[in-house]
Amino acid sequence: MRQVGIVGVGHTKFGKAGVPLVEMLSYAAVEAMDDAGIKTGKGHGIDQVFAATMGGGMINRQHGVASALVDTLNLRPAMAESVENGPASGASAVKLAYMAIASGMCDTALVVGGELMRVVSGWEATDFVATMLHPEAEYNYGLTLPALAGMFTRLYMEKYGVTEKDLAMVAVKNHEHAMHNPVAHIQLVPDLYSITEDEDAIIINPHVAEPLHVYDVCPVSDGAAALVLCAMEAGDRFPKKPVRIAGIGQATDTHAVAERAVSTDLLAVRLAAEKAYAMAGISPREIDVAELHDAFVILEIAESEEAGLFPRGEGHLAVRRGDTKVGGKLPINTSGGLKAKGHPLGATGVSQIVELTRQLRGEAGGRQVAGAKNAMAVNFGGFGNNVIATILTTGGPEKYASGNLRI
Amino acid sequence: MQAEIYAYKCTACGHLHHPAHFVCVKCGGREFEQVALTGEGTLVTYTRVYNLPEGYMKPFIAFGIVEFPNGLRAAGQMGTDELQLGMRVRAEVGVVKEGVGKDFYGFIFQKAE
Repeated sequence: MRQVGIVGVGHTKFGKAGVPLVEMLSYAAVEAMDDAGIKTGKGHGIDQVFAATMGGGMINRQHGVASALVDTLNLRPAMAESVENGPASGASAVKLAYMAIASGMCDTALVVGGELMRVVSGWEATDFVATMLHPEAEYNYGLTLPALAGMFTRLYMEKYGVTEKDLAMVAVKNHEHAMHNPVAHIQLVPDLYSITEDEDAIIINPHVAEPLHVYDVCPVSDGAAALVLCAMEAGDRFPKKPVRIAGIGQATDTHAVAERAVSTDLLAVRLAAEKAYAMAGISPREIDVAELHDAFVILEIAESEEAGLFPRGEGHLAVRRGDTKVGGKLPINTSGGLKAKGHPLGATGVSQIVELTRQLRGEAGGRQVAGAKNAMAVNFGGFGNNVIATILTTGGPEKYASGNLRI
Repeated sequence: MQAEIYAYKCTACGHLHHPAHFVCVKCGGREFEQVALTGEGTLVTYTRVYNLPEGYMKPFIAFGIVEFPNGLRAAGQMGTDELQLGMRVRAEVGVVKEGVGKDFYGFIFQKAE
């Protein structure tokens, strides 16, 4: 299996796009190709395109998105597939591009993830996301992702002593990080006291799904993110040194959340992370920066534990100590996370890798984690029933010689 | 007539499932018999959800996950405003969503007497 690296990144400003889906994807794609020094005309060298979107067909009435993208970017006759894996579509597309290059079937791939969600009402967006829940056991009841997250949060608070203030602290931290990320959707920092303890807190920060408040939940955003991946052995053709994809792990869990053996476990996160660490030959202690899927802030805490970055039940203590801020021991969601940067579903998994690539290149500006060498992303599909963990590194592939089979 | 909600019992090993699976999670069997899933259980967790579709004439809907004495857990709507972790609830079946030409039946958990 060949080694694979990232040589180009692109990212639109998350928020409200105001342009059609494929045009929005194109802005991110062209930025990534420019970053990789690839010409968009003849001789671009892109062998394969993956386009990740969850709702193109349902909310934008457009299928065959990858085929449309290849045409408008004049990348014909490159191979092209659209990828749908719920909110984990982005990381799935990165994984498929990795497999395509590692297998030797192609040398260079363009991955673009995006979602155009603000063309429908807030409720319609929530309802469309809920269509990935179990039809009979969940969706027909009116259950939504916020509902499942609320029930999960209540259990987590009860079991581990996580408080509403801990949750708000995660949100405030991610909003602070987003202030240094020009592509983040929300550029403001809520005041911790005002959204938790002030007598008007429940008006400023009302419940969405108890015990979750507005500031515990990500916004609905449009946006796109893109990557150019190449075989490491072709890495010297590009102007910037490739950031290597060291490991990818993926795992699934029960469709109906009520069926899980331990209701506070996110087993698929744990298994995906374990696989990624094993493939990378990197341990949780060596991770310098992480992007965790905080569609609901409790998930950042729970994933930080399941991914082995903090001990079980102690993720919220790390938040209290400031470990997860830029400048702390292990900064999490330096991009602002889904909470403040935004969560255009198909874009998110790609956007996480864009942020970590910028961190490992030292291009992250005011949110830069000094000397970051190893990074982890967790992209969480469904309510944790399909999770992908990806590990990036600036280090070389000591264990696997380029072009050889992985033992 | 009200629909019933079922558990699905593997005919090979007896393992109970809810919702239905095509393959038994315990023994890999593929045949199941329907068993009514009724009675009282314990409220494992709950939430009140405030972002509802337009046109809803109530401020929130409450949902819960209930554990039955046979070990099965199921999600459903809550039919009571008195919500407490660990409380005893009774599983009733009612219309949980009105569809076009077809209503959807599901659990509505009530406070047990």
